[in-house]
Parts: sequence; structure tokens; C-alpha cells
Amino acid sequence: MFRNNYDGDTVTFSPTGRLFQLEYAIEAIKQGSVTVGLRSKNYACVVALKRNADELSSYQKKIIKCDDHMGLSLAGLAPDARVLSNFLRQQCNYSKLVFNRDLSVEKAGFLLSDKAQKNTQSYGGRPYGVGLLVVGYDKTGPHLLEFQPSGNVMELYGTAIGARSQGSKTYLERVLDEFKELEDEDPESIIKVGVQAIQQSLKDEVLNTDNLSIGIVGKDLPFTVYDGERVAKYL
Amino acid sequence: MTSIGTGYDLSNSVFSPDGRNFQVEYAVKAVENGATSIGIKCNDGVVFAVEKLITSKLMVPNKNIKIQTIDRHIGCVYSGLIPDGRHLVNRGREESSSFKKLYGKPIPIPALADRLGQYVQAHTLYNSVRPFGITAIFGGVDEDGSHLYMLEPSGSYWGYKGAATGKGRQTAKAELEKLIDRNPDGFSAREALKHAAKVIYMAHEDNKEKDFELEISWCSTSETNGLHKFVQDDLLNEAIEYAKHETSAAGDSDSDSDSDNDSDNDNSNETHDKEGDIKLE
Amino acid sequence: MNHDPFSWGRPSDETYGKYNTSIAEASPYPSMNTQQPIVTGTSVIAMKYNNGVIIAADNLGAYGSLLRFTDIERLIPVGQNTVVGISGDISDMQHIEELLDELEIENNYDNSSADSNECLQPSYVFEYLANVMYNRRSKMDPLWNALIVAGLEDDGKPFLRYVNLLGVTYSSPTLATGFGAHLAVPLLRRVIDHDSDVEKTTLETAEKTILESLKVLYYRDARSSRKFSLAILDKDQGLIMKKNLEVENMSWEFARDIRGYGTQKV
Repeated sequence: MFRNNYDGDTVTFSPTGRLFQLEYAIEAIKQGSVTVGLRSKNYACVVALKRNADELSSYQKKIIKCDDHMGLSLAGLAPDARVLSNFLRQQCNYSKLVFNRDLSVEKAGFLLSDKAQKNTQSYGGRPYGVGLLVVGYDKTGPHLLEFQPSGNVMELYGTAIGARSQGSKTYLERVLDEFKELEDEDPESIIKVGVQAIQQSLKDEVLNTDNLSIGIVGKDLPFTVYDGERVAKYL
Repeated sequence: MTSIGTGYDLSNSVFSPDGRNFQVEYAVKAVENGATSIGIKCNDGVVFAVEKLITSKLMVPNKNIKIQTIDRHIGCVYSGLIPDGRHLVNRGREESSSFKKLYGKPIPIPALADRLGQYVQAHTLYNSVRPFGITAIFGGVDEDGSHLYMLEPSGSYWGYKGAATGKGRQTAKAELEKLIDRNPDGFSAREALKHAAKVIYMAHEDNKEKDFELEISWCSTSETNGLHKFVQDDLLNEAIEYAKHETSAAGDSDSDSDSDNDSDNDNSNETHDKEGDIKLE
Repeated sequence: MNHDPFSWGRPSDETYGKYNTSIAEASPYPSMNTQQPIVTGTSVIAMKYNNGVIIAADNLGAYGSLLRFTDIERLIPVGQNTVVGISGDISDMQHIEELLDELEIENNYDNSSADSNECLQPSYVFEYLANVMYNRRSKMDPLWNALIVAGLEDDGKPFLRYVNLLGVTYSSPTLATGFGAHLAVPLLRRVIDHDSDVEKTTLETAEKTILESLKVLYYRDARSSRKFSLAILDKDQGLIMKKNLEVENMSWEFARDIRGYGTQKV
């Protein structure tokens, strides 16, 4: 068996210049249930599969609102996501309070990136163990960002993270041209594509009103989370 | 890599018996796998260019911008761990802002290079941090004219006429050398722009199967009034057309330039797997 | 009770004898910050019109009654569509200029739409300055200024709002700081009394009104100068900065009738 000497902490480079602790943190995302994000010309949406610990327990919340124009969904360590979403909420509030300005999604991504990077360069901590899909609608329209524990943030038309997310991603790539330039006047069509996409990542699960969660934001539509009966029509 | 297994390469700030700091060398490896970045110094400014690999068609074109601005008159591009680059640029912005508060004028670029160099070097001194996994190319125009620097994970930096780092640096360096040899009197920012595009296209040749976007910014007295700015679309497209044309022509005739003499992946006599994992019997 | 604020919260001298300030090296006074401006700029005046907004201020920095500096620029452009006019202490104004410069630089960092949708709006600049002013006064260390932020929002609406050293803010289609609030505002309101009058006011009328008001201020404000700057933010023409203008067509005829000053015998 191989024993890796270079994966004990976040401040040790391997001889090829890799940071194993970071790569492992990125692996932690795959332990979480799948979530999909996508955007059209006017809306950005996240769709997530919620998990419960056992039959009697409630389902773990997957989508968090940060401001009227921004929210996110998570895959991986939920407590880490709460730290990051609280941070984003603070930054959104700060921007509104001090500048009377909605935090741009682009800037939100950079703020997350810089916060996550700090955990990767000094001893004693660990990187965040969560991936985020940040969606928002600002002065430049709808946006979707994928955030990773390394501090890498990318702007995408659509993506998926979490367990078996590749299926959703492949689906989104296939139907990309149908939704990315869509001049939709209501959020229904983009949500439907999102739900279709997440179906591609399911194995034993079946989507129902308990385990499906949808977050939507867009033109004239503040960030809203649909849970329970409100997702019934998308099943 | 005879160091592996000796234990001297496991912690930052530790010298090996022959006086090397392996963690810094490993940080350099992170840079060498990164996307190619270059900087060119011209008569009245500098031009930065970077190769942006397209890893998925789901990525939004022309977003995910890599080149950053440190101050109005200073730009920066880097290869390696991108979030580390952002860290360095944030530090550069703090230095630049504090200089202006204290002295009431924009920071001279050599002074910034010195301060950033010290900051990066400090990250090689302690085992509680790791070195920066980037090599940064930065520069711009100040009261003494144009400046271009390249800063490595060790904290050492040099001034350059043309600088390249990242995966395609060998090809890029060869191209830059040819370019600068051919133009002993230097060239304008407009010309440098076209050359920068070409150098990135040439450097990408070895990596042809992957799609990429070209990102270019500049800072010159003639073109941008001494401010660091992204190149406007029409000039960018012109440069890309030139680069494509030149690259396809070069593919037919002179494929001499780079034979990778000081190749970095010295794979001979490696007894361990490529990650340096040690086999336990 | 001793009503002197300096004595509040202290043991009374009648009961305990005079407080010995050498104990704990205490100062005989409470700690104090700025109590008055030193070199001052006088009024800033501004008004909206049907296609934008105008703002003006003279170029004088007065040291008490001495007209000490005659080339002080008190209209500060921020980004492409905002001008901040500053009256009050000039060194505090210069500090605010530094803050605004930093605000502009930081807005351009990592902002791919810095020249378009995500550029600085006058409302952002104002909110920031209002916070700075209020925070400073809450620290009992005010920036001794009154500011007017004039600009064009990206929805095309003109923006005009006031904030001063107390952190008080308000808006109006016509605004003035300092002496101008008494002398110029009534004149400006002859043209624009209500919001609805803005639509009826052309750039030409507005500019004429501002010039007339500056003339009255130069007549009657002993801390004003003839030379001034004027900025127009027009929806179609963008920012127009006019510098080194002078108050014209004055008549000092009335001066001979003034009694009670100077050396003349009544």
C-alpha cells in the first residue's frame, strides 16, 4: 500500500506541487447530495436533493438565501456552508448599508474565494469542506458561480456538484443551447430544465415534495426557495 | 528528486543538508503546471497576456477574468494556484494604498516589487505557512517610465524585457527572446500587443487539443494614459487574427525554437510514483 | 448644580475641593477634537434641470477673514457621472478627496463592468460619504464640512443630496451649503420651487440662475471669491467641468450708499 507523506496538512506541497489536503476537501463535496445550478437570460436557479439522517428526522436544508438578489446551494459539509453563507449575508448587508448598493455576484465570488484561500495557506486550520453554487441577479443580469474549497470560483451557464453530479452536468451540456440564451419571461422553464438535470444524478432516490428543494432568482423576482408542496408541480 | 523520503522536504522553512528548501521548489512545480502567462515591456508601457484554458463548454465565455489590477497604473498576471495569486494581489493593493496615504503619490513600481518580494519571501521562513504557489508577472508605468517584474515563490524577483511563466514558458521565452533580439530599439504598445497574442498562441501549440481564450491587458502612456486596462475588443480581435495567422505559418516553416533543454520534469531514475508517494514494503 | 459641561460627571469642587489634575496626569479639560474649521471654503450651490444637474463653488480658501488661497478646487469628480462639492474645512476636504480616490480605485478592482453597469453611482458615493460623516461625528471627531453630491443615476434620473458634519442628510431639487443656504436657495427656488418645476427648467435657465446666485453670494459673502468652478452633469453631454470662470456684469453702484462701515463720515 502507498502511504502519502504529503497529505497531512494544508501547508505541505507534494513534490509535484499539489496540495493533497485541498484535493481531499474537494472530495468532501462528493459526499454531499447532488445540487444543480443553471441560468438563462433572465433567471438563475438552483435545484437540490435533500437528505434526511433517518426516517424520523427532518431533511437537511440545502439552499440558503443571502439577500433579496442572491442565494446559494451547497454540497458537502453543511456547517461550513453556514459559515460561508453568513459571511455572504454580512457582505451583502455591508454593501447595502454603506454604499446603498446590491453586492454584485462577481464580487461575492471573489470575497468567498479570498476567504477560502486564507484557510489553505496557514497551519492549524483546514480548508472548507463544501462546494457552493451561488446564484444571483444584479445589474449585469443573472449569474451562476461554482465555488470550491481551494478558493477557485468559476462563472458558468450550468453545473452540478455533489454525489453523482456528473450525470446532471452531462445533461446540462447537452441541452445548453436550449436554455443559456432563453429569453424567458417566467422562471418555469429554467426550473424544469434544472429538475430534469437533477434527475440524471439520482440512483435509489425518487424526487418528492420532501426531498426536492428549488431556489430561484431573476428579473423582478427576489431570491425565493421552494420547498414542500410548492415543488409538487415540478415533479 | 533524491530528496523524497529523507524528511527534509516535508516542512516549509527547513533546509536539507545540501542547503535547499524543498517546499519552495515544490511550490515552483505548482507554477510549472499552470496556464501560461507572459508580460512584455515596450517603449512606453507593458502588455500582459494569459492563456485561459476552457475546461468545459458550460463556462461562460470572456468571464472568469485572470489578469488583475494592483493600482491604477499597475497590472498583474500569474500562473499557478489562482487563489494564491489573488492573495498576492490583495497584498499589493494594501501596499499601494498605504504608500499613497503616507507619501501622497502612487507607488513606484520598483518599490512595490520590493515589498511584494519581501512578503512572498516571508512565506518561506515559517513552518506555519506554505510558500505562494504562483509566479507573478507585474508592472506598469510610473514617473520613471515602464517597468516589468517577475516574482517567484522564493521571493526573488527580476526586472524583465519579456517574461513568461507557466506550462508553456519554454516556448514563450524562446519567442520573446527572438522578438527582443529582432527589435533592439524596442517597440510600441500596439506592436507588443500583437506579439503578446502570438507568443501565447505559440506557447499553446504543445497543448493544442485543449481550447483556450486569450486575455490581454496593457498599461502605456500612449494607449491608456498610464492606466492599466483591458484591451478593447477590436484591437484584441486584430491581435488574435495576427496570432492565428502567424502560428499557422510558423507551424509549416520554423518549428525550431524550443527543444526544451532544461526540461523540468526530470523523470530519470525515479523510484517512486509521480506524487512522491513512498512504497512501504 | 454646576451647569458647565466641563464639570459634568466630576466630583463637585464644593464638596471635595478642587480636582487635582496631576493625579493620573489627567488633562484639566475633557479630551477634545476639532472645535472649529481653520482654512475654509464657502458655499456650494446646486440645482437640477430637465436633463441633469448643475453644481458650483468658488475657488477660495479663507484663513479666518484673510483670503488666503485663491486656487482651491472644491468640485471633485468621482467616476464618470458624479461630482462632489465640498464646503467647510479645506484640510478635511482634502482628506475626503483621498477617501473618494480610494473609493474609485477599489471600485475598479476585479470589476469587469466597472465602465458600464457596475460603475460608481452618485447614490453609492453619497451613501458612503454620509456614513463617513455620521461615523466621525459619532466619534466626536467630525469632518468639518457640508457636502453636496450631484450626479446622474444610471436610470437617467438626476441625483442631488446634502450631508454635513452632523451626519444630517436631505434632498431637494435646489441645494446650497453655508451662506448659500440663506442667500442662494431663495433665488434658486424662484426657478424651481417644487419637484415638478424641474421638468420646465432648461440647462440655459438653470445655468443662468446659478450664475446669478453666485453673483449675489460674491456681493454679500465676505469669504467668497470672484473666481469659481461649475460642473454640469448632462444626460446627453456627460460631465462638463468649467474652471476659472468669474462672476461677470457686477455693479457696485450700491456701495456708495452703504453707511456704517469703513472710514466715511455719515
